[in-house]
Amino acid sequence: MEPIASPPRVISRYNIVTRASHWFWVIAFGVLVSSGLQIFNAAPYLDASDKSNPARRVLAIGAPADGVGTTTIFGHTFTTTGWLGWVDDGSGGRTARAFPGWITIPAYQDLADGRRWHLFFAWFAAACWLAWLVSAAIKGSLQQMILRPSDLPKLWPMQAFYLKLRKEPPPYGVYNPLQKASYTAIGFVIAPLVVITGLALSPGVDAIANPLTWLLGGRQFARLWHFAGMLALLGFFAVHVFQVATQGFVNQMNSMITGRFRVEGHEA
Amino acid sequence: MKRKLFLASSISAALAGCSPIGTALNNNQGFRKFLESAEGLSHVAIGTRGLARLYTDADVDRNFRTNGFNPPADASYTSMVADGFRSYKLIVDGAVERRSTFSLAQLRSMARQTQITRHDCVEGWSAIGKWSGVRLSDVLGAAAPRLDARYVVFHCLDNDGQGNVYYESLDMHQAAHPQALLALDLNDAPLDAAHGAPVRLRVPTQLGYKSAKWVSRIELVGSYANIYGGGGGYWEDQGYEWYAGI
Repeated sequence: MEPIASPPRVISRYNIVTRASHWFWVIAFGVLVSSGLQIFNAAPYLDASDKSNPARRVLAIGAPADGVGTTTIFGHTFTTTGWLGWVDDGSGGRTARAFPGWITIPAYQDLADGRRWHLFFAWFAAACWLAWLVSAAIKGSLQQMILRPSDLPKLWPMQAFYLKLRKEPPPYGVYNPLQKASYTAIGFVIAPLVVITGLALSPGVDAIANPLTWLLGGRQFARLWHFAGMLALLGFFAVHVFQVATQGFVNQMNSMITGRFRVEGHEA
Repeated sequence: MKRKLFLASSISAALAGCSPIGTALNNNQGFRKFLESAEGLSHVAIGTRGLARLYTDADVDRNFRTNGFNPPADASYTSMVADGFRSYKLIVDGAVERRSTFSLAQLRSMARQTQITRHDCVEGWSAIGKWSGVRLSDVLGAAAPRLDARYVVFHCLDNDGQGNVYYESLDMHQAAHPQALLALDLNDAPLDAAHGAPVRLRVPTQLGYKSAKWVSRIELVGSYANIYGGGGGYWEDQGYEWYAGI
């Protein structure tokens, strides 16, 4: 017997705090990445150690000669002229510089300016996260969003449904198991880790909470983790944008702007 | 397909627009002030609490990285180097009860503190050194700061090559920190010219630019607004934060 598809209905999915903080995060994330790369450019290498130590260099971007940019990852050197090392100087020319001007704030090299943007938007993003957390906890949507052990067996069936290997998704509530998994990973693991690793770089925080920086392997290690966390967030961002673009773009965007989400038959 | 192309092109256009918009905002004075408001938040939230981590002799960088300006090259400094800094005087003045001067020999005869601490540069690198010298609070105490003293300004002998003198400042709370040190030795040897001889500041709870080298005068003031660029330090005058704990 064919299941009877229920008619589409409109649910209220995202409250105003969730929607506002979502778009504020889009801005904050863009600024934090581009100002962060500006800051990275001041010491364009990452060491897996406490103090700087060339013997434990994991990543180094440089210009061994004028007109040549190189990137060294775990001792393997690649020529990256035009992309990394010898790049756009932010004012029409090219120069020895790790990340190019078109991706940094400000475009030209200025550590003080990059720090000003970065530290402001770090506070801003954390404030948005806190506002969202409190609001979601009060509204009860936090419970709908967090991945539970009972969701684990549904993760693959949900992915199989998206890959068109399955006709029906597993039954779920307001958020499907894959959404829950990504929200939980990003909101409660990766983003807080990026904040913590950033704080661990601060000599003031290190003096207050010695064990924190030590646990991360020291200051240069914290800088490495902070960079890796940024890459993880970028990866999430890419997957997230892809999913929104391929799973009812208009409905998804509408729900994150107005809060109204149109549900097609399946959802339980 | 069309929609995806549209999406991809609008996202790329948005990204390409970010850097110019960011740069334009960056150069807007009002927006700059707005961004600077976060500094107060960091200062209140982190402040100057606790003690910097202490390391062991095994952690020390034997060739401690030199950075910042070149050693002073003027005749008064080179003549001091030549006489082993016997003519050097550290002046402590301003809002103090007793304007004081200290010779290097006097500083060397005072109670010693040795700390193996990490130097965290604002650029992102770190190095570990064994610093030995006199607690800043002992030197200030000898001059008896007045009640109207709110900041401690460090005047230095070096400049950026364009005549702008290096200077720095701490508030009274930061200056009283037990690890705030007027260092005389690095790695068991008297400071050499490149590392700030004969006296440099060490503030391990803050970024490296606070740890001024070649200190010659300590001035206590109610406000640093009228000193040099008014930012409270050479790098602060170039746009860096006065609060250097983050």
